[in-house]
Amino acid sequence: MTNYISTAIAGLSLAIGVAAALPAAAQDLPSNLRIVIGSTSTGGDTYQNSSIIADALAAELGINIKVDAVGPAEGFKALGRDSSGSTMMIFHDHAYLGELYGVRGFDNIFEDYRVGPTVSINPGNAYAVPKNSPYQSMDDIFQAAADGTRVRVAIQPGGVSEIGFSAMKNAASVLNPGSEANIVAMNTGSQSDKDQLLFDGQADVINASIQSNEQYTQLPADDQKAMRFVWLTAREATIQGANPEGMGAMTRDDMLKYVSPTTSVTLDGSEDFTFDKEFFFIYNKDMDPALVEAIDTGLAAVFDKGDVQNTLKASFFIPNFLPSAEAQAHLSEKRATYEKVISAIGSE
Amino acid sequence: MDLLSDLTPLFFFLTIAGTFVGIIFGAIPGMTATMAVAVCLPLTYSLGLINGMALLLGLYVGGISGGLVPAVLLNIPGTPSSITTTFDGYPMAQRGEGERALKLGIAASLFGGMFSLLILYLFAPALADFAIKFSYVEKFLIIFLALTVMAALSGNMLIGIFSGVLGMLISLIGAYDVSDGGNGEYRLMFPFMEYYLDSGFSLLPVLIGLFGLSAILIEAEQGVPEDSSLSKMEISRSTPFRWTDFGGQFINLFRSASIGTFVGLLPGVGGSAASVLSYSQAKTFSKTPEQFGRGNPSGVIASETANNGLTGGALIPLLSLGIPGDSTTAILIGAFTLQGIQVGPLFIGQNVETWNMMIIAMLVANIAMFVIMFYAIRNICKVVTVPKHLLFPVILMMCVVGSYTINYGIMFDVWTLLIFGLVGYLFHRIGLEVAPFIIGFILGPSAEVYFVKSLESYGNLTIFFTKSWIAVVLWLLIMGSIWLSVFVARKARA
Repeated sequence: MTNYISTAIAGLSLAIGVAAALPAAAQDLPSNLRIVIGSTSTGGDTYQNSSIIADALAAELGINIKVDAVGPAEGFKALGRDSSGSTMMIFHDHAYLGELYGVRGFDNIFEDYRVGPTVSINPGNAYAVPKNSPYQSMDDIFQAAADGTRVRVAIQPGGVSEIGFSAMKNAASVLNPGSEANIVAMNTGSQSDKDQLLFDGQADVINASIQSNEQYTQLPADDQKAMRFVWLTAREATIQGANPEGMGAMTRDDMLKYVSPTTSVTLDGSEDFTFDKEFFFIYNKDMDPALVEAIDTGLAAVFDKGDVQNTLKASFFIPNFLPSAEAQAHLSEKRATYEKVISAIGSE
Repeated sequence: MDLLSDLTPLFFFLTIAGTFVGIIFGAIPGMTATMAVAVCLPLTYSLGLINGMALLLGLYVGGISGGLVPAVLLNIPGTPSSITTTFDGYPMAQRGEGERALKLGIAASLFGGMFSLLILYLFAPALADFAIKFSYVEKFLIIFLALTVMAALSGNMLIGIFSGVLGMLISLIGAYDVSDGGNGEYRLMFPFMEYYLDSGFSLLPVLIGLFGLSAILIEAEQGVPEDSSLSKMEISRSTPFRWTDFGGQFINLFRSASIGTFVGLLPGVGGSAASVLSYSQAKTFSKTPEQFGRGNPSGVIASETANNGLTGGALIPLLSLGIPGDSTTAILIGAFTLQGIQVGPLFIGQNVETWNMMIIAMLVANIAMFVIMFYAIRNICKVVTVPKHLLFPVILMMCVVGSYTINYGIMFDVWTLLIFGLVGYLFHRIGLEVAPFIIGFILGPSAEVYFVKSLESYGNLTIFFTKSWIAVVLWLLIMGSIWLSVFVARKARA
């Protein structure tokens, strides 16, 4: 009996010791944390990214984290209901672009929620044309619009897919005022819908991604499915952060040909428009600041160890940890830039 | 040699275990193959791609197949693609042929799965090229063709059409989703409903409310004696299953498997459309169409062959184009992504080993599904011997849990279940039809998107008639289906 008691006391002491060793802030976190994401897909980049971060963070903090793919509307509702810190959200720039484009269910995340740390970037946002398209570059597209040719761009409205389209219209407006009217949106849904519009000849340009469409660029030009990238929206520095082998047959050097400054989509005649699809945390506005600090500290420790960077890079994400305060300033600045673009051309 | 080294005991274990768990998911109302695959997706991190795929493909095949069991025994489709199985499976069970209906369905499922697997293996790239000939226009016409079955499913054609159109209308409640290319505007609801219904009613809670909860309410109204059970439906030895039951069903099997595979390879059209189309075509070409809906084995065979035919079909665009054919294969893409594997038009050529292992996993899963279900069916049938006053609360609990979990814990989905349970009960009282209603509800959103996008892309209505030879063929099938419905209705009246 005495042995049992001794063992129990030893175990308890060990548990107390381990708990004491944890960062003070981590102890404030609930032991079961739910991360809702702004996508209903468990096959997409938001889920993949969130899973990688959640696994690393759970191991670092010694808590359970579950990622639920509930979509933006239900995600924001869940976040709004829970200020205890048991529910957090991971989403990307769509979170504020949806609001800028006036999509229902999207509020100003900087006012109605609390923006948390950024964790990574998906550098793959791209625009593609059929391989036998007359448009060899973005310059050709802007010239065609200036010459009065209608250029149809397949996008999913209201978010990441549309911001590049808005940038194209804005650039056309800067380069040849009035020509932006010839760049028109073909609003559609998923990537397969956009691809299908290209296959059907109902779109001249589609919003695409390196991950989904790179293999199509390897097909011979006489294949109905063959595509060619004309623009990657990411910053040059972002692409420089990718592994040299890139993705598929497209090396990092190949990618750099499609980003600014080599490929230019002007913002205002002097500077190029760029867009990185960044993933970041969003919290309930009233969540305890100690918990914000705990997540910042936990993520800093995760990124200090360096393993998560390798995992992210292997999945073609660019690690990009910024603590909450820096992330808020950075994303707020991005939002302001894109707000100007959208209001300059008006959303379609 | 690489292939042989991958064929480890763990590979077979995971495939078979996945199939078994998938069957359980499929058999529980409100839980689906998609949910089973989603739940197990994170395991692929640790299992690696090939073993992870073995598990997920087993779950996929098992999940699609398991929906047969409650559809036949309880008149509750375990999955949306089992709806048409209830039409004849449950009447067969009511007249004491439950085991026969289940075994017919299981064998038909095996045929559908194997047929689509063969097509997948032999013709995947070529069929993917054919699939991209189907634009919004052709996809709308396929949905339209599936919708024509609404008229034929009811005792009264006009009531059937009315119920179906009502289902379509209710399916459009909520936002015209921007993620489908819509304008995001809310329709068909009052402002106070917007918080709950911005995404509309979820399909699964509606489905199990209409089929499961309403049946319990109807039984409750009639009173449930303590010693009652459904055991009279159990295994009647008067009409046992015989393999000769498939005599004369070869065309039905082949046609249904082809439809299932074909619909599977069209991204976005969905598994429910496969079984509905297959059922309607079986009825159209039957010499006794009036027997459908009254326990005709051909109906069970058509439905189950098609929904398992979907499994191989949906993998065709996934592995040949990188485009998922249905909601479950959309999650399978995640398994590839998690392993850093690109899926696109070059996938098969660049990943021959993975491709071969996936084919083997599908083969093993289909065989395992057949063995597990066929030989366990007598035990599974015993569920109907449980007294109703014990069985119904368990079903109700499963319905509530399934509704709550289907979208990761949204309480309004439970309310949806209860609301549509009452709607189903009211339909029963006033004579409206649940089956055409749910088909309209399932197909309505796709019909809307494809119709609107066709007009946006091509600008006028004539495109539906002039787009391609495929459109002409589809119109002929639509006219044939409508003609048959009118013919059967007139014959029944006479």
